[in-house]
Amino acid sequence: MAQFITNILITASSIVLVGLGFSLIYRTTKFFDLAYAFLFMAGPYFVLLLNSHLGFVLHLAVFLSVIIVGLIGVLLDTLIYRPLRRRNASALVLLLSSLGVYVILQNVISLVFGDENISIRFGKIEQGINILGAKITSIQILLIGLSVAAIVTTSMLIRYTRIGLAIRAVSSSPELANVSGMQSERVIFWATFMSSIIVGIAGILVAIDVNMNPTMGMNALMVGIVVVLVGGMGSIPGVVLGALFLGSAQHLGVWVIGSQWQDAIAFVILLAFLLIKPEGFMGKKIRKATA
Amino acid sequence: MEYILHILILIGIYIILSISLNLIAGYTGLLSIAHAAFYGIGAYVAALMALNLHSPFLVNIVCAIILSGLLGAMVGIPSLRIRDDYFVIATFAFQVISFSILNNWVSFTGGPMGLPGIPQPTIFGLTISSHLGFLLLIGFFCALIFWLSHRIVQSPFGRVLKAIREDEVFAQAAGKNVAAFKVLVFVIGAGMAAIAGVMYVYYISFIDPSSFTVMESIFIISVVIVGGAGSLWGPVIGAVVLVVLPELLRFIGLPSFVAANVRQILYGGLLVAFMMWRPHGFLGKYAFQSGEARE
Repeated sequence: MAQFITNILITASSIVLVGLGFSLIYRTTKFFDLAYAFLFMAGPYFVLLLNSHLGFVLHLAVFLSVIIVGLIGVLLDTLIYRPLRRRNASALVLLLSSLGVYVILQNVISLVFGDENISIRFGKIEQGINILGAKITSIQILLIGLSVAAIVTTSMLIRYTRIGLAIRAVSSSPELANVSGMQSERVIFWATFMSSIIVGIAGILVAIDVNMNPTMGMNALMVGIVVVLVGGMGSIPGVVLGALFLGSAQHLGVWVIGSQWQDAIAFVILLAFLLIKPEGFMGKKIRKATA
Repeated sequence: MEYILHILILIGIYIILSISLNLIAGYTGLLSIAHAAFYGIGAYVAALMALNLHSPFLVNIVCAIILSGLLGAMVGIPSLRIRDDYFVIATFAFQVISFSILNNWVSFTGGPMGLPGIPQPTIFGLTISSHLGFLLLIGFFCALIFWLSHRIVQSPFGRVLKAIREDEVFAQAAGKNVAAFKVLVFVIGAGMAAIAGVMYVYYISFIDPSSFTVMESIFIISVVIVGGAGSLWGPVIGAVVLVVLPELLRFIGLPSFVAANVRQILYGGLLVAFMMWRPHGFLGKYAFQSGEARE
């Protein structure tokens, strides 16, 4: 039982990070940026490149990778989404172009590193320590700790800092924010950077805990989207609740019908929510759902 | 010669797929990432019936159309409640769930190993075994579906679809049962995609889930977008361009292990480029902008 709860916590932590990054960017730019699947998966590949191929120390490699992922996120936004926004492109156009971006970059990674599973586990494989009868490895403790830290930091940033205020303003009304002298493009820049970094960290932690392959990003992102929709768009407590809910549902599902059905379970939950309660647990009513 | 026939057959299959998606996404404005699922269900129904029941080709194709149409109705239903990108995510969910079933229900679908040995189709006592025979068969279905799609978009039914795309509330106010139209266009589109699936599975005579992934759905969307959403000839042109273009890579001597990735990079690039500079494609009438965003 203790092991079961621990496993749920570990899964929920990795989901919560993706969900957090994704909800931050969705509330400012208002479209499903599928290129985040690439940012998630790019992190660990940069670690691999810097650490194994270029000989950087692991910690430095991780730090640099996270920054690189953040920069790529900002670069994509500047080169592709900003010109589209300027032309008043619809959420569908933005989504389709992000899909194209994802397809390109994912295949570049496949070309360079191959499609097979790669492990970036470092040191020797640990047994894991016993806490209240549950086995947990140090990387898993780090995963849980970092996701709690990320939740707290992001909530604080959003609530108390000027940039957080600006993000909230832009997400509730870009025009009004512009009128009151906030440059919405600058706000989107910082929101993109922050969310890319969060998603990049999530990818690296998951890759160290399990392993990595070029398609890991899409699964993670989809789970992230499920959490954001289930929890309610734009609500950090909602994301946490959604991640715990989805984590439990997936582990229960694995226990009852088998691990190969994990994705299907997540998406059945998503469909149920979209049909019955499209605003999620804690979100506000959305315009895109006609109840 | 065989090679050219093979390319033509592939073009035919993608023409069917993109015309059917064009009805849903181009004319009605319901962007769907579930098209490979309809394609796959059609293919699997025909394969399983041919292998287990030894039923004739025409019976299989009818059953495939019906079952895929039913799935189409299921995918269409969320469009009554959610719109735009939310709906895209819902269709994505259907795609992932369908793939999961094809891939994991090993005892029924053969799982990732696939099902070999699908027999050659026999129509009115005529067994089709050559490439040329398949090309004629697929050409016939292409023509049929092109004609159907032409009739549909010219009809009052088609005008309502376009009205839903341009302004759903207006269509509703004009007394149209928008819900029924949306579900029906999904049934029609899914049924047509099933025909492509049946053609594919008889032609290749082997089936596995890897042909019906999310990536395949994205590819079909790219075909529609490059050709031009909401135009009659757009999908035809898109299918020719997107099937032939990667084949050209073969001639510049690209090794085969990178070819698959380069092919995907190519159509991902086309998708981004068209969205940025020409969202209505070569011939399209619709650029995925809703009425309010255009104003």
